[in-house]
Amino acid sequence: MNFFEFLVNRSDDMLELGLGHAAVVGVSVLLATVIGVSLGIATYRKPRPREAVLAVTGAFLTIPSFALFILLIGPLGLGTMPVVVALTMYGLLPIVRNTITGLREVDPAIVESASGMGMSRSQQLLRIELPLAWPVIITGVRVTSLVLLGIAAIGSIVLGPGYGEMIFTGLARVGTPVAVNLVLAGTLGIIILAILSDVLFYVIRRLTTSQGIR
Amino acid sequence: MTSSPNVSQPNRKVMIRLENLTKRFPGQKQNAVDNLTLDIYEGEIVVLVGPSGCGKTTTMKTINRIIEPTSGRIILDGEDVTTANPDTLRRRIGYVIQQVGLFPHQTIGENIATVPKLLGWDSKRVTARVDELLDMVNMSPADYRDRYPKQLSGGQRQRVGVARALGADPDVMLMDEPFGAIDPITRDRLQNEFLRLQSEVRKTIVFVTHDIDEAIKMGDRIVILQEASRIAQYDTPERILTAPANQFVADFIGKGASLKRLNLSRVSDIELSSWPTVRVGADSAQVLDQLRSSGRDSVLVLDDAGRPRRWVGAGDLQSSPSGALEEIGVPVEGMVEPTATLSDALNELIAARNSVTIVVDPAGVYRGVVDINQINETIRAMRSTSAAQNAADLAERSTAGSASERP
Ligand SMILES: Nc1ncnc2c1ncn2[C@@H]1O[C@H](COP(=O)(O)OP(=O)(O)OP(=O)(O)O)[C@@H](O)[C@H]1O
Ligand SMILES: [Mg+2]
Repeated sequence: MNFFEFLVNRSDDMLELGLGHAAVVGVSVLLATVIGVSLGIATYRKPRPREAVLAVTGAFLTIPSFALFILLIGPLGLGTMPVVVALTMYGLLPIVRNTITGLREVDPAIVESASGMGMSRSQQLLRIELPLAWPVIITGVRVTSLVLLGIAAIGSIVLGPGYGEMIFTGLARVGTPVAVNLVLAGTLGIIILAILSDVLFYVIRRLTTSQGIR
Repeated sequence: MTSSPNVSQPNRKVMIRLENLTKRFPGQKQNAVDNLTLDIYEGEIVVLVGPSGCGKTTTMKTINRIIEPTSGRIILDGEDVTTANPDTLRRRIGYVIQQVGLFPHQTIGENIATVPKLLGWDSKRVTARVDELLDMVNMSPADYRDRYPKQLSGGQRQRVGVARALGADPDVMLMDEPFGAIDPITRDRLQNEFLRLQSEVRKTIVFVTHDIDEAIKMGDRIVILQEASRIAQYDTPERILTAPANQFVADFIGKGASLKRLNLSRVSDIELSSWPTVRVGADSAQVLDQLRSSGRDSVLVLDDAGRPRRWVGAGDLQSSPSGALEEIGVPVEGMVEPTATLSDALNELIAARNSVTIVVDPAGVYRGVVDINQINETIRAMRSTSAAQNAADLAERSTAGSASERP
């Protein structure tokens, strides 16, 4: 059975695993965005908290993913939960860093004229600073999505959803003809999801960025 | 007003009063603004001018509390606003900064609508106001309303900055070097436009610059500041030029005070001379007739709308006897409007043909010319008035002992 026949044969599996993979990554990206952007907003003007947040979220990324998934079994058990938590932790750094960079790059003269016209602090943030930092922030979210699509595959060691299942099954059968096909199919699935996510973020970025700063 | 260092103006309403205002930035040894007391009258442009770092910007920014004073009081229209809510305070005060600070992600219309929207105006009223303001700063609403700041020139952005500050028709405007980062020709045009606008809206304006020429041109009154915002002199431009209060002021004005005085008079203040003119359709006989009766060596050719087009002399007629008037002679250049200063007129005159500057109204229609004699006379007249004023001033100081009112 060649690879193409294998794919046709397993197309139902491919689709189901793809949806699971996308869902677990999607939820994690969403959580990382909410937490990361909030942390960025809370700290971008204060040097010490800012450095601390970057150091901590950076440190998360240095934990080997195998280790983190297994460590999380203790408190969270098996399945989707430990995967979502681990992915969220891995996803924070690009988002926090880009939120801080984007907000700090806003021309201080623009913020000063906003406050000089009587915008409150939150109005300045919502109407001026975040829209101007938005292209940088969304780029961070895009990077996070790509990174997490890859890492999510490892999540199947704690029985998380996604293409990892195929890849690990393939690993377990190394030496049989089906092993290569399984690993290739899982990888291909992830690559397709990555391309779709890039297209999605390109469209979102176009639609949500003002013409004035494109 | 007991021992205020300000010019006493009993009949005018004080719009902004700064009382013993002091600002020390954290970690600084010296005060950036040191015990400043200043009254600013309703409807006037008061220019803060002084060397770099003397505290002009800091002083101005304490008025809308972008910078919170360390001590002292700010009184706006009779109300102590030193501890008022800064956001509500700022919505009452127009604010223009040198970098303009337009919001790049918003259209020109949205930028100008900022304060009206903050104040909760309904959208019909906001739209009408935006168009009115664009018209006011000579930008066609239909063309510019929906553009983004990046699609405008520097001068146009500056105009939008002014329109945005006028958004909710504030009584007071603060302007920090609003025409600073612009080429000299555009700056001059914006200054003239702004003065014309101010003659209609009559705002109380605090205007910061480090350029004494701009101060003289724009100010109803000028505050010359020394370091730590100490007032060296607070006076009208005329008095600053003709009676500097001390050596610091004299040095700051620099040489050429006489020429600077030309910035104080406008073309509309003097009687224009006339020059022989013909319409484009005229024949050479009419031109020769005009030349002979006026004794000039060229005539000014006006188009059908009365706008100056070319200088034509007897020689031009001979070298191409059959040529239409709009094709012979030389094109006119360097015209000024009645709002231009005599200094502008003199600048044009020096470069001009026939040693006159042509004056046209805003529609470009010929009004007359200015020649060097008229400028000479104006300077002489100013000298004699200022001499008389100085004498009167001296007498007043020695009798009333009011010299102490001026630090
Ligand atoms: N945020 C700040 N922190 C500390 N010192 C400051 C701050 N802002 C201004 N200063 C100091 O206060 C003094 C006055 O500054 P200010 O900006 O008011 O001067 P300025 O007259 O506007 O000068 P310029 O013509 O160069 O704009 C300067 O010595 C400046 O270094
Ligand atoms: Mg300044």
